[in-house]
Parts: sequence; C-alpha cells; structure tokens
Amino acid sequence: MVTVVENVQVLLLAGVLLAACLAKLAVREPVADVPHGHGGLRVHGVPVAQRPARALLLLRGRRAGLVLGLVEGVLGLALLLSSQFLVRVVATIGFAGATWAVMELRAHRPEAGCGCFGGLSVKRVGRRSVVRAMLFTAAAVVSLGASRAGLEVPRLGTGRVAGVLALELALFASLSPELAVLCGRGRGDARARALAVGRRARRDVPCERRHSPIEETLATLHASGAWLTFENSLVSAAPLDVWREGCHRFLVYRARLRDTDMDLVFAVSTAARARTVDHALLPLQATPPPVPASPAPPPPAVVVPAAVVPAVLTRAVPPSSSSAFPLAAPTPA
Amino acid sequence: MPAQRDPSARRRYRRAVLGGAPPPSGPGASPLRVLTGTVLDASPHVLVLATATGEARLPMTATTAVWHGGRGGAAALRPGRQALVRMDADGLAADRVWLDIGRVTGTLLSARPDTLEVDLGPHRGRARVALDPRSSQLVQVRHPRLEPGYLVDVLCVRSPAGPRAVGPATSQPGHRADALASPAPDAPVPPETRGTATWWGWPGAPQSTGMGDGTTFAAGPGGDPPGHAVAYPAVEGEDAAGGCGEAPPGCVPLPLLSIGGGLDVVNDCSGRGATLTVAECGCVAARFCDRCVECGTSPRGRIAELGPAAFAALGGDLDAGCFNVTVRWGAEGRAW
Repeated sequence: MVTVVENVQVLLLAGVLLAACLAKLAVREPVADVPHGHGGLRVHGVPVAQRPARALLLLRGRRAGLVLGLVEGVLGLALLLSSQFLVRVVATIGFAGATWAVMELRAHRPEAGCGCFGGLSVKRVGRRSVVRAMLFTAAAVVSLGASRAGLEVPRLGTGRVAGVLALELALFASLSPELAVLCGRGRGDARARALAVGRRARRDVPCERRHSPIEETLATLHASGAWLTFENSLVSAAPLDVWREGCHRFLVYRARLRDTDMDLVFAVSTAARARTVDHALLPLQATPPPVPASPAPPPPAVVVPAAVVPAVLTRAVPPSSSSAFPLAAPTPA
Repeated sequence: MPAQRDPSARRRYRRAVLGGAPPPSGPGASPLRVLTGTVLDASPHVLVLATATGEARLPMTATTAVWHGGRGGAAALRPGRQALVRMDADGLAADRVWLDIGRVTGTLLSARPDTLEVDLGPHRGRARVALDPRSSQLVQVRHPRLEPGYLVDVLCVRSPAGPRAVGPATSQPGHRADALASPAPDAPVPPETRGTATWWGWPGAPQSTGMGDGTTFAAGPGGDPPGHAVAYPAVEGEDAAGGCGEAPPGCVPLPLLSIGGGLDVVNDCSGRGATLTVAECGCVAARFCDRCVECGTSPRGRIAELGPAAFAALGGDLDAGCFNVTVRWGAEGRAW
C-alpha cells in the first residue's frame, strides 16, 4: 500500500502541473487594478520591506506566466513519462519554491491572488492556498520514494490507485478557491463559448473601474461617425475640457456651425470592447449661473433646429442647475 | 477655461449627451446650517463669531454642547478661538460648537512618546503632532501599533506649537498602510455603495477645488466657505483629470471620477444628504479598510473624506470621527 501511495503522488503531481500549465496558457489574468505608483516599496515615503513580494509580482506578467506555464507542462509530462529520480527531485524543489512564493504573497500582497492556476487564481491568497501548497510539497517529498513513471502507476492496481487518487483530489479540491472561479466562469454562455474556441475568457474590468488611457479614448472618438461629421466644424483640435465619470469620458469642443459658436460634447465609453460614442450640441452659455438657494425648476428645453444640425441633437438640453447646499446661510444679526 | 470646469456645467453637458433630468431635490434631507468663524465674545446665551461675511450673533441654549479637546462648557468659548457651529434643526440656535478642532490622518512616519510624525498623503504633506502623557494613553487605546508604516487617525486642537493630539478619531485598522484587502479587479460597482465617511482638515481653512489652478470654491450664499469639497479614493489618473496615480486600489469597488465630479452623499445616521464635489484624490482614505459604528456597523472602507463643515452639516459629529454613508452612482438616476 505504501508503494501505491508513493506512486500515486507522481500521477497527482503530473496532473496538477499539467492543469496549471493549461490554465496559465488558456486563461488570462484580469487586468490589474490601479497600479501602486510607488511599486509597493514605499508608503507615502515610508520604506516597507517588500522586495520578495515585488519580485514575485514580476512573475505575474503575461510573458512570465506563459514561460512558467510551459516549464510546468514540461515537468508534468516528464513525471508522466519518466521514472527518473532527478525529475521528481526537480518537481519537489519546484513545489517547495511555490510554497515559499505563496507564503510571501499571503504576507505582503494577498489581494493580488497567487496566480497558481493563471487567471483562475485571482482570489485573495488565504490560508487554504498556503495549506494546499504545503500539501503539494509534502506529496512531492513522498513521491521521491516512487519507482514508476506516472503512466505506469495504474498497473499497480486500478482500484487502489483510483481510491487514493480520488481521496487526494477531493482534499485538494476542497482547498482550491479556483474551483469557485471556474464555476462562475462557466455560468456565462458567452464566456463558455470563448473557452471552447480558445479565446481569452477573462472577465473584463467593469467599465466604471477600468483605466482607459486618453489615447484609447481619442482613437475611439476619431474613428467614430460623429467625429467625422463635425471634424471640419471644430474651432480647435484640442478639447476645452476632458473628464471622466464612471463608464464615460467626456470631451468638450468648441464648434462653429452656420456662424454660430456651439459646444460639442462627446461621451466616449471606457469599456474594454464595443466602445460607443455619444454626442450632443449645446448653445454657448455665457457665464455659469450663481448657486441658487433652492433648486430651480427645470426650464424649457432648448432644441437646435433640425435644419441647422440634422440628426445631431436628439435630447432636450436644460441649462445648468446647481445643487443647493445651504451650509453657510447668512446669519440673523 | 474655468467655466468649462465648473461642476454644474459638466452636469449640463452630461445630461445633454446621456439624458436624464436635474434632480427635483438633493439626496436625502436638507443639511443643517453650519458656520465657521473666530470667537469674538460669548455669554451663556449668545455666541458672537467673526465670519467671512461679518459678525454673527448666535443664540445658545442649555443644551448647546461645546467641545474643546473634550466636552467643555461656556468657559471654553474664549475670544480668538476658531469655532465651527452647527445650528439646530430649526436653524435658530447653536446646537454644537467645536473649538480649534482639527484632524490628522495618515501614515505614521515616526512615533515618539511626545510626538507623532504623520504623512498626510501626496497632496497634503506632513504633520507633526504633539502628544502629552494623557493624550498618548488615549490614542494608544485605539491605536495599539504606533509604529512606522501603520495608519493613524487622531483628533487635535490648535496650539501655538502646532496640532496637539487629544484623542483618537477612529480605531486604528489592524493592517499596515499598504496591506489592503482590495476587491477583485473585476468586482462590479453596485448602484449604491455603503461605507464610511470621515472628515479632514481644519475648519475655516480654504478649500481647494482641486482643479490645479489654485482656485478655491466660490463662497456660499452667506459668503462663508461652502465646504463642498470631498476627497474621493478613486480619482481618474489620466490626463488632467486630477491625478490619483499614487493611490492604492482601496478596499471598495468605486467608479473612477475626475476632479470636479459630483458625489451624492447621504448620512445613513441622520438621513441628511448633499451633492458634493470631488476636489482631491482620497489617497489616505483609500488606505483605511475600517468600519464606522455610529449607527449600526457599516461595511468596510472609507468612501469619502468631507470637509469639516460638510461633515457637520450632514449631521456628523466632528469628535465622533465618522458616520455611515451611502453614495449613489449614476448620472442623475441613470446607470453609468
């Protein structure tokens, strides 16, 4: 029975390495959120000992992930096909290193996820991930006593091998947060289709939180039909104002149409895909109105005649309104 | 073009493109009246303040509470002290008076028995806070880790030598300033977010609009500082939007906004709300994954840092440090 357990570890580790390889190659990690401008080494000027975590985060790049995945795949295949002691020693060292890496990430950057299974390992590094890595290392140490290649293990007795393997798989499944992520991904039909055809299946960062470079916004705008319609009417190529509100970046330009100066406003989506461009033309407003003491009723809409700007302004455009905020009303003397 | 960066102009532009109508009223119940100024004279029945618009005489009642480093009586109302007065619900008499109050929130750079040196974030510089033995004990009750790299949040009073700590503003988060439990990068933004609102700064200090040209908010109807400014943890870092590049992700999924954007804030404890203007990156607030327990336990995370006047006007007690808050997203009823 001891021999069976030792040899089953080889099969288990080979399967895990191949699964990690496939996950890293097929499932991209979500785009990182706001990058820490200080690289995580300083917090408002306070030095923080984080060099190991920073080095580990470097391994989380797409290219480094691909290389790591390929190395894991080769090692997994070697465990399956070869009974060489050296292969199992390399696997043991690899799992020990992975355990250290997971512990470091848990201590310094738990929110980044461990990346053990590529884009599936995005959940916070918790105690379960550390225990799992330690158990994998223990299994690798046990596998040092094995004598067979992974593919030869079933010959030891299908029933016993299957029993031990099922027990271990159940244990590791209970320690794997990736399963929940995988199930969540499976719920979306579109994502499932994307997986089936091998396309990237990561969940996009919501448009409200997605960092959309201004160059991307300008490229989307300049390729839109609305821009082409009004490009020759713009007084200046530089926008008067640019700002972001959740899923849209707004750009205001001054345009001259039929000898009338107007404000041309574009709202460009910040979504990762299928970005839209909305626009509106507004008459110039001379000066911003003073802050009223109470909200004013909405005045009648101003609509640009269709003859002047065909199919441009589709919505009513009420003038500015300000929020009343009577923090400091005059005091009775 | 300052007019183009006027928040109300931006709201007008947004409605023009995306639709929606101006809200019939602000979020929540109306804010309370708040005045800031210097104490000129005080008696048990009248407080005389020098405000930006002139002298104000405020009736005081037996229930008017005065704070100066702790609960104090009318004797604390000495001429020359900076006061923030919140009127009662009718706006007729002073309800709460805070004297020389201030707050220092940030990352500890060094801690000695008599001094704390605090980094207030990239926008606010540093502060050196004096501690006496009593205040040191009080601070340590809720800040057990006075070590570099940990967060600190203390209430202070003005003194000729600089801010002097009088006690903790909130409890110290157990994590280091950089060890945040950030949400997953793909975590969605709910239609409204609940969390904690705090305040920062010193009453009476001018509030920058954060628009990079050094302008401050226009005076309110009475000429006093309006206190619209709010520091928000998720300010867009692109272009001239405001720059929050140094801020951590925070521990709440928040939509990205630019400086000058509007924020509908409602105090869950008082029901009072207002539309505030994002004027600064809340780099410091983003590091606090704490809760407020003013009325029930709020979810983790600071969503906004208000100016002291806005905080008090929405029903918050400056010496309590925080209130539970709900912020609604979307453009005037429309989803993003």
